[in-house]
Amino acid sequence: MAAEKEATAVDPFEAFRGMRDTYLEGMSKAMIDAVNSEEYAQATGALLNNYLTLSAPFRQAMDKAMIMALEQFSLPSRQQVMALAERFSNFEMRLDDMDAKLDRLVGLASVTRTPPPEVSTAGRQNSAPNAKSHSAGKKS
Amino acid sequence: MADVAELSNDWTVLEQKLRTFNRLMTTKASIGLTPKELIWTLNKAKLYRYVPVVPPEERHPVPLLLIFALMNRPTILDLRPGHSFVEYMVGRGYDVYLLDWGVPGPEDKGLKFDHYTLDYMPRAIRKMKAVSGCAEFSMLGWCIGAILTTIYASLRPDDGLRNLLLLTAPLDFSARQELTFARWTDERYFDVDKVLAAFGNMPGEMIDYGAKALKPVENYVTNYCKLWDNLDDPRAVEAWHAMNTWVTDIFPMAGGAYRQLIVDLYRNNRLMKGELKIRGELVDLKRLRASLLNVIAEGDHLTPPCQSEAFLPNVGSADAEIYRVRGGHIGIMAGSGAHKLTWPHIDSWLAARSR
Repeated sequence: MAAEKEATAVDPFEAFRGMRDTYLEGMSKAMIDAVNSEEYAQATGALLNNYLTLSAPFRQAMDKAMIMALEQFSLPSRQQVMALAERFSNFEMRLDDMDAKLDRLVGLASVTRTPPPEVSTAGRQNSAPNAKSHSAGKKS
Repeated sequence: MADVAELSNDWTVLEQKLRTFNRLMTTKASIGLTPKELIWTLNKAKLYRYVPVVPPEERHPVPLLLIFALMNRPTILDLRPGHSFVEYMVGRGYDVYLLDWGVPGPEDKGLKFDHYTLDYMPRAIRKMKAVSGCAEFSMLGWCIGAILTTIYASLRPDDGLRNLLLLTAPLDFSARQELTFARWTDERYFDVDKVLAAFGNMPGEMIDYGAKALKPVENYVTNYCKLWDNLDDPRAVEAWHAMNTWVTDIFPMAGGAYRQLIVDLYRNNRLMKGELKIRGELVDLKRLRASLLNVIAEGDHLTPPCQSEAFLPNVGSADAEIYRVRGGHIGIMAGSGAHKLTWPHIDSWLAARSR
């Protein structure tokens, strides 16, 4: 009885969901057309431009007041901190380049320091006259 | 009595759904979990090497460097265990590196493509070569990362770049009628210099709004309706949570780079016209000789296919391929079908060229 009831139970929100999805699909297409229009581009551009123009004096006044306040407290301004950060970045870059050069030097040094392979003298009594001997200091 | 029990049950289900919904809206999912180590930093940029899981003798000798966009976290490449491109490629035997650009501060407002391609990338690549022990490498650029990697590959073709993979690359801006962003940022409507003078860097909120406004109903309404409908499905919920965590992690884009994107690319299409200059050097696409895979998302509304299609004839690569895949800008790499389509294709293409 309970299983039957469950099987026949109707989700009251199913119809609503269907209507909702249909409505949203229609709205979506309309909105996509709207945002792709020149009018929308013009309107948002104008809105942004007006906001920037109207807020500019407030932002400038705020910046000036902040710089004066920071000076009074002997604290660095944003510009000064930014300049410092830029110099740090340059330091980092130079350190990184030095690190790379050092790696290269260490690599070259390890190649030159690697002892040459020992040459076997067995069967070498009739060696070619131009053959180089790697045994420095040894007299034949 | 049965009706009361049913009502009580319905109320419990509703309460559970509301709790889950609240959790998703107020917490962050753990993403970017594939083990990695930090091997290099410069300013905010970090180079990571993912811990290999395949023995060295079975690994591809040519390392792979992943480069994502400048205004989003690269964790989209490593979203969650079992659904991570990085995890997939590491498991397939690649020595994978990721260049995370970091979050630009006010002091970085002057950073341009010039700095990213000629200061940061060469140094990161130099470190990668030192760590991997291989003079050659592969590079994957996605979205704005594809612009950066293309510029680098054209300016420094002899630096060891063997393979270049471009995903949803916004390179060709000639079809302005099809590009909503081009319309919005037209010089008649959008004063980029005024915006950057006010904010320094381009605010992340504005970039996020721009991306979402392309499909406003989907992004602001339908997305949440679909979530509500699937709150009973734990897999769907966790997938949504991870993606939403990434989407909502917004931050600014360096002002100089943003200005180049709008003026040099969106308005004047300088890269495709052969007029783009990076630190005085002309970016000549014909100098790009690496093997090239250009992945195009057919359902991409952020970077429509027309922005990548005409690119191949302009490069000097003898080995170049276009791979078109169903899906959106992010979906082709992070969606549910990515592991069946895009990832295996990238793997098979790259494996043949990484020996």
